[in-house]
Parts: sequence; C-alpha cells; structure tokens
Amino acid sequence: MTDSNLQTDVTQAAAVEPQNGIPADVSAEGTIDASIAGTMIVFEEVIKVYEPNVIALNDVSFVIDKGEFVFVVGASGSGKSTMIRLLLKELEPSSGRIFVGGRDLARLKQSKVPLLRRNVGCVFQDFKLLPNRTAGENVAYALKVQGESSANIRRKVPEALSLVGLSDKTGSLPDELSGGEQQRVSIARAVVNHPPLLICDEPTGNLDPDTSVGIMQLLYRINRAGTTILMVTHDREMVDKMRRRVIALEEGRLARDERRGGYESE
Amino acid sequence: MRVKLLFSESLRSLGANLSTTIAATMTVLIGMFLLGLFIALGSWVVSWSDHVKRELLVKVFYVQDAKEAQINDVRAQLEADPRVKSVTFVSAEEALDRMRRKFPELTANLPSNPLPPSHEIVPVRGEDVDAIAASLRPTPPGVDKVKYGKQTADRILRVARVIEIVFLVAVIVLLVASTLLIANTIRLSIFSRRREIEVMKLVGATNWFVRGPFMLEGLLCGLVGSLVAVLLLLLGKELALPAILGRIESSSDVEALAFSTNALILLIVGLGVGALGSGLTLRRFLQV
Repeated sequence: MTDSNLQTDVTQAAAVEPQNGIPADVSAEGTIDASIAGTMIVFEEVIKVYEPNVIALNDVSFVIDKGEFVFVVGASGSGKSTMIRLLLKELEPSSGRIFVGGRDLARLKQSKVPLLRRNVGCVFQDFKLLPNRTAGENVAYALKVQGESSANIRRKVPEALSLVGLSDKTGSLPDELSGGEQQRVSIARAVVNHPPLLICDEPTGNLDPDTSVGIMQLLYRINRAGTTILMVTHDREMVDKMRRRVIALEEGRLARDERRGGYESE
Repeated sequence: MRVKLLFSESLRSLGANLSTTIAATMTVLIGMFLLGLFIALGSWVVSWSDHVKRELLVKVFYVQDAKEAQINDVRAQLEADPRVKSVTFVSAEEALDRMRRKFPELTANLPSNPLPPSHEIVPVRGEDVDAIAASLRPTPPGVDKVKYGKQTADRILRVARVIEIVFLVAVIVLLVASTLLIANTIRLSIFSRRREIEVMKLVGATNWFVRGPFMLEGLLCGLVGSLVAVLLLLLGKELALPAILGRIESSSDVEALAFSTNALILLIVGLGVGALGSGLTLRRFLQV
C-alpha cells in the first residue's frame, strides 16, 4: 500500500455520520463556525472533575488542525489519559466543549459512539490485540465490525499489513511476534479504515529504542499521508528529535503549547 | 452475511474457550436435569394427592323407614349445593349386596337386611367434605347419620397440602438456584474475555455486535445442556422407572406431567437462561 492510498478525503471522512445531511462543519446552531472548519480536534475550556473532587483537566483549550502531528507530554496523573478518554467519548467533560472532526461530542448520541471510534484509530502501549487471532484476523476484525464485505476485507488487510511491513506475518499469532511487530499489527488495525485521526497512547512505551524509532518512522509516514496524529508519550528523546508541536499538561492544566517544541520548555 | 458472521464468530469463540463452554453446558445440564426430575416427581405426587382426595365422600344414612319424600328433599338440597359434584343413591338392597361381596362370611346368616339406604356424595374438592356434612346439621327428618370419616379426611387433606407446598417451594428454589448457577458460570466466562470485549468496543463495534455472538453462545450452551438433560431424563424414565414402579400399584388417574410438556419446559428454561443470562451479564461490561 502506498502512502497515497492512505490519503483520504479528510473532510468527508471526518464527518462522523452527519445527521440530517448537515455537513460536519456546520455547528449546532446551523451556522458555519469559521473557527471549527478545517480543524480536527478542538478543546474549549474543558474541565473534567472525577467524583468526588479530583480535577483531572482544568480549563484546557487548544485546537489541532487537520494533518498535524502533535505530542502530548506530561507526568503521570497530569490528565493525558483523561484527554484520550474524552476524545473517544468514554467519558463526558464536566464542562466545556470538545469537537472531533468538526462534530460536537456532547451532541453525539451514545448509539453513534461506535461510529466515532471507527473514524478514530487507536494505538496503545499494550497493543490490545486479540490473543487467539492471527495478525491478519486482528486487522480484519476492525473491518468486520463495520460490516465490511469479505471481498473488501481480503483487499484491505494485506494493504494495511504491507504498509507496516508485516506482509509475511499475516498468519502469526500475537504470541509469536516481537513487541515491535505486535505494535505494527495494532497500527495496521488502527489505520486499515483510513481514519482521519490516529490517537497513540505511549505507542513506544514498551519497546526498546531501536524498535521505537521504526514505529515513529511508520507514524511519521502515516501522518505525511494526511492522517492527523495525536501522540501521548514519555519518550523525551523522540520528542526532542522530531521537533513537532508539543502540548504539555501539568496537573490538569495546559502548561505549554509550542509549534516546534521539545520535551521540556527551553 | 451478518448472520453468517454472527454464527462464525460464535462458533469460533465456543471452540477457543472450550473449557468455559463445557462448564456452562454442564451447569445447564445439571440444573435442567434436577428441575426436570423435580417437575416429574412433584407433579406425580400432586396428582396422587388429588387422587386420594377424590376418594373422600360424604355419606348420608337414612333411618330404615325413611319416606321417599324425605329422601328426595335431602337429595334436592344436596344437588343444589355448588360444592357437590355428584349424588348417588344406594338403596338398602344395594348396600347389602356390596356387603356380601366384601364380607361374605359375615353376611351369610343374616335373617333380614340391617343396612339403611343412603346417599353417597362426591364433592368437587376434597376439602369441602366438612362443609357439605355441616350443611346437613341439624339432620333433616328421615336422616339418621351423616358421615365423612372426619379424622381420615383431615389427615389426608393435611398431608396433601404439605406435599403441594413442599413441591412448589422445591421447584422455585431449584429454578432460582439453577438460574444463579448458570448466570454465574456465564459471568465467569465473560469476565475471562473482558479484554476481548474492550478491544471490540475500541475498534467501534456496536453493543449488539459484541452482544450477538455471546448471546448465541449462551443459547447454544443452553440448548445442548437442556437437550442432554431431557435425554438423560428419558433414559431414566424408560429404564429406571419400570424397575421401581413395577412393584407399586398405581391407579390410572395418578400421572406425572406428560414427559413432552416437561421436556418443553426444560428446553425453554434452558434456552432462556442461556441467552438472557449472557445478554444481561454483558451489559455491565459494555459500558466502556
């Protein structure tokens, strides 16, 4: 699969199930909101308080445009995981608004949440592969869930696996793969739908530095093909080397948002 | 297409989780077998107690020289009573005939017929013998005695009531126990696969997509478990029962619930518990 295959019409794909034919860029009031058009993720004064009174996110606002590659850094407990769970609508913010692909998550019905998740690829530190399915079946599973035809599945799965360089491991079970290979399978699964947004939660957290570089190069290529990537990481070296946008969280507050930042402020 | 996917996913995970599949099926089997045994046994005992109750009679004995009009008055009163099922007249001659048949040596030398004419009253419900007898107090003219075997009747009724209550309680307890047992087994099997469910949700499976295969699996376990239970009960009925019952004299109107009905109940309960058990248990795990 070439990079151009990965490139999807971001605007169209980002419109997570538009209801009543309203384009995604049209806000709830029916007027086109110029600040939202062309954005992938918008956090507007988001506050998340866990019961009884643990403040996980405190008045966080930022905008991520389509096609960006953004690192989110911060110590454990700074609210990074909460941010991801909010983006996947696993949690609801206590106040503030969140838009993904121009769509207000608060207005997204619970029954439409699976459709949101199909348009947001996810990669995790622990891979989250199904242990009793082969690499190919794990990737195919994401397509089966959407009711994709078996002809399409047969075509798309090898494409995704060859993108991550694992064409020869289609029939291997996760146990038989190395950590880096497992992470590649999980990336293949995340991008097989051509989602406009890819969220990575410490994708290199369990991998050795050399393998991590390979994974980062893969993510970089996916990003170049047009996919917006939001990556939570603790990998200081990687962030400093890539010189991409960095959003830093400290105790739930947005501490820093730099265009070409490093792991720590300079 | 969707149906094919549903079945292939279910069969695949049944095979992949063979030990939990077997555990769930065995649980259903045991639960349904015990339930079936109890339904058969219980319904037989209830039917037997009904049979015994049916033997309860009220007997009205007339004085030897009772007028026909007096006898007819009593009959009319009894027949008007809604608790009375039937009233049979036994003339003095008939009573003697019966006596001769039962005790030939006692009646051989009788100079005359000492037996009075009587009415035998069969109640609709055995419990009513007391009330029917009471309605003939004080005794109408021409009536000598009203008998209904008070002590025997009371004892039979008490035993029958205890049997009915014990049976009902046992079936309810068994039903609840097997439901809990099956639900618990299903919960364990789902809990061991919560990671799988988490992944399904993450790649955007709808709740029904996750739930479908699990419910079908529960359904299949329930089906197989209750079918085997029915089979075992059938074997027991055909092989063990004649050996036991061969020695017990049973009247034709004492019968357990028909085997086919019993089997149908077991199948429905097995299927329902299997599918609903896994469907409901899943709800907690779907809130990802």
